[in-house]
Amino acid sequence: MTVDVEKKIVVEIVYNGVTKSLHAEPEEQVAALLQKAIAIFGITQNPHLLSLFKQDGTVVPEHESIERAGIKPGEILLLRPNAVKGGGERLRVEKDIVPTTFRALQECGRGECECAVYWTGPAEGDLVNSFEHPLHKRSPYGYEVDDSWLTEFWKRLAASRRSIKVQVHTHPGEAFHSETDNEWPIVSQVGFVSIVIPDFASGEPSLDSAWVGCLQADGKWRRLASATEALIPA
Amino acid sequence: MTALEELNRTILLCRDFVVDDLCDEEICRRFQSVKVLCVSDRHNLSSHSGQTALITLVSLLGRMGIPVWVRIPEVAMLLPQPPLSGSCVRAALIASSETLVAGATVCGDSNLNPDLTFVLGDTMVDSGHPSWRLSGSDWYGALTMEKSAALQAWTTEWPIGSMVSAALAANEAFKFVMRQLPLRSPADQIFFEPSRFCDWNFDSVPVPEEGVHFGEVDIISAGAICQAALYALLRLPKVQMWGRIFDDDLTGASNLNRNMLTLVTDIDSKKVLVVAQRCGTNLRLEAVSNRFAGKASEGGKLAPRVVVGVDDIPSRWEAQRCAPGWLAVSGTSHFSISSSAHSLGEPCSGCLHPVDDPAAANPIPTVSFVSFWAGLAMTVRLLREALGSPYSSDRQHLWLTPLRMDQPHAAMWLPVASRRDCPVDCLASQRLYLRTRGAERRA
Repeated sequence: MTVDVEKKIVVEIVYNGVTKSLHAEPEEQVAALLQKAIAIFGITQNPHLLSLFKQDGTVVPEHESIERAGIKPGEILLLRPNAVKGGGERLRVEKDIVPTTFRALQECGRGECECAVYWTGPAEGDLVNSFEHPLHKRSPYGYEVDDSWLTEFWKRLAASRRSIKVQVHTHPGEAFHSETDNEWPIVSQVGFVSIVIPDFASGEPSLDSAWVGCLQADGKWRRLASATEALIPA
Repeated sequence: MTALEELNRTILLCRDFVVDDLCDEEICRRFQSVKVLCVSDRHNLSSHSGQTALITLVSLLGRMGIPVWVRIPEVAMLLPQPPLSGSCVRAALIASSETLVAGATVCGDSNLNPDLTFVLGDTMVDSGHPSWRLSGSDWYGALTMEKSAALQAWTTEWPIGSMVSAALAANEAFKFVMRQLPLRSPADQIFFEPSRFCDWNFDSVPVPEEGVHFGEVDIISAGAICQAALYALLRLPKVQMWGRIFDDDLTGASNLNRNMLTLVTDIDSKKVLVVAQRCGTNLRLEAVSNRFAGKASEGGKLAPRVVVGVDDIPSRWEAQRCAPGWLAVSGTSHFSISSSAHSLGEPCSGCLHPVDDPAAANPIPTVSFVSFWAGLAMTVRLLREALGSPYSSDRQHLWLTPLRMDQPHAAMWLPVASRRDCPVDCLASQRLYLRTRGAERRA
């Protein structure tokens, strides 16, 4: 017989001086807690600028699990804008990441469907040393990541103290950031990098013709002149 | 100039919550159509604290475009109350009509049927309307919806508590207007519910009878927050200070909603000149009509004490780099304020504000009482520093959202954590870097 142990904790979120309680699981990512906090206050104005702060003045790292971030039951967390999210450091990408990414996109998309992968690395730091190919529905016009897979993925990231550094997906023809891409990045953090590869990634494994963009503090995406603005070889 | 231009930033702040299809003119009109009555008897108005409470409240309301009626006796002005002028309180207030923001009239009471009534201290009122009472002491201010036996008259000279109570009251008037406006989300109504009782205590410290001598203080910015700080400093009895004030900006119509030392007639004047003139002789400020440019500039060597009210984050870093001693920074973010002080060796303003915020270059949504809180908190830090009683390190940072000061976490005192990547590369960040690098090597 197995016994389910209730592990949920309650934390207090303060926003605009008002406090609301949130239930969370210790292994849940702080990023997920942050999204819940933004949702319970119904914040629609620049939510990507907000972070959670502890009472010791430190920002709660979003790519940690709640447990690893040291959040205790009953803890009071301040939800407020965080200019720290400016980012700016270039990511160091291990050399096999781009070719293996192309291989995965080509094999899955078969030159006729969009596909996506997520580049990951240690939560603390700027290294990209692996990628995840999500379970997703595909079509020539888009892809939709499976919710259950995504939940499981967040848990795995938390357990392994890793985070998503870059999202990469393909387009049938031209590489650009669509309205959907703008609105629904997997990580809504300023400085987050998104790459769109044209022609279902059927070309050479290179980011030269890719659209590479970075999420700005005003919630808009800024196209970078080249991938080297955001990425350097590890 | 029109009230619409002058209240532009207040309207922008309302738009955080108001439905998108409500036009600016309608939001402006709602502020201008509220009728506020301020009441005091002679006893409560015969102290500097009582006079400061009333004048500050009327100013904060006026800068929201709200017309005010005063039911008060005429009393002699005990200490100067710039930018108001005159030797009598009632006459000075009525003379200030429409000098802060177009349409923000101040009138004597003539059987007004008010929407909101604010009453000073233990003044007796026979109105059937619910009223708010401003009460407090030297460093403590409160606002109560109904009269309680415990309320005291304003009798003290020290005015920090009275300015707190005025800021609390102005907030209730703002929320009253917001409750009349259609909000995007019904859930947001919680931020604008009236507070039946709210208070704030900056915690008292002894002030010598001979007053406070701040010595040399440099002020970076002549904008809203530094003007609020100086407005508060100018009301402290027996204080002396000298220094410089840096700013290259001209007064614009959209500054009137929050620049506490500025009048309608100051539009197009250099902000530093306006402020230096209003500060008079006890606070002697040399107006420097340039943006503070750091070490490379002529004014690169700063005074032992520096107060910073600029929104531009790199300018805060530069001031911190050039500050030889103590530095305070205050800023606002929508309805919240951030106020901090940094002595040598403590985590600096770069640790607290480590990355530039490009959004700060856009028109910033603001309202009078929020900017005022930011300035008042900075003045209190300067005072405590000069008196040798700075706040402890666990109160190095104050994050305060004045909307619901009846809530337990409306204001949070916080320490400032040093950062390895501090853009100022302060001593605290260097110490942290060495400590953590040592730990990494051992690991």
